[in-house]
Amino acid sequence: MADEPGTGGSSGFSELLNLSLPATSESIATITDAISEILERLEIPEQKRFEIDLAVQEALANAVVHGCDGDPSKTITCKLNGDSHGRVVISVTDPGPGFRPEVIPDPKRTEGLYGDHGRGVYLIRQLMDEVQFERGGAEIKMWKY
Amino acid sequence: MDINVRKRSEVQLIQLRGPLRMGPAVDGLRQAMEEVIGHGDYRIAINLAEVAMIDSSGIGLLVRFLASTKKQGGNIKLVQPSKFAIQTLKLVGVLNLFEIFEDDDAAVASFS
Repeated sequence: MADEPGTGGSSGFSELLNLSLPATSESIATITDAISEILERLEIPEQKRFEIDLAVQEALANAVVHGCDGDPSKTITCKLNGDSHGRVVISVTDPGPGFRPEVIPDPKRTEGLYGDHGRGVYLIRQLMDEVQFERGGAEIKMWKY
Repeated sequence: MDINVRKRSEVQLIQLRGPLRMGPAVDGLRQAMEEVIGHGDYRIAINLAEVAMIDSSGIGLLVRFLASTKKQGGNIKLVQPSKFAIQTLKLVGVLNLFEIFEDDDAAVASFS
């Protein structure tokens, strides 16, 4: 059963995916492909699927690069829960020390526009309806309604 | 991701097919761009018609090379970015950094 923030309680959510894989880009592709297939099977509209797919991609990339330092001996875990209304909650967990999401600078400020990193968490927050960081930032939970 | 690079009228045209995301896709495009720039070609058009997804690492790569080509008097112009590519670039505020064209010919002509 998925934890859920204030809206709607936790009833009706069931686990659709629970994968733990080595921290590699291949694992990211495996997980995102699996989630895309599930979302398509749930007949979630294309726009919503795109937003979820990209947010998951960003969360997994953060877990591999920052949470695992790109070390393939470490493991990332992704869970997807959904309900019959097409609402989903996704969690991504890594074994890292976490981070402080509140201190991430806004990538849209002028001096950050040409930077080559620092957009992932911003994108996730823009794409998903609710985002929570737990375990000091080592776990992200994202809701899409 | 398929990456095809060809030269037309002193412009390097890079055709991408597949999601531009962290891993082999971004690594492959980085290598292709480094080779192009290493040969002194700073006028580049990238066709994104068949790129349904660009993640933040793909965006980072594009803007970093945009900055470096502009420093050399060149540019990176985008051709036919998909609906979702445009949405993503807009979300992070970099869409307006790029000139966008409807087809390869228009992008190539714009460099002359």
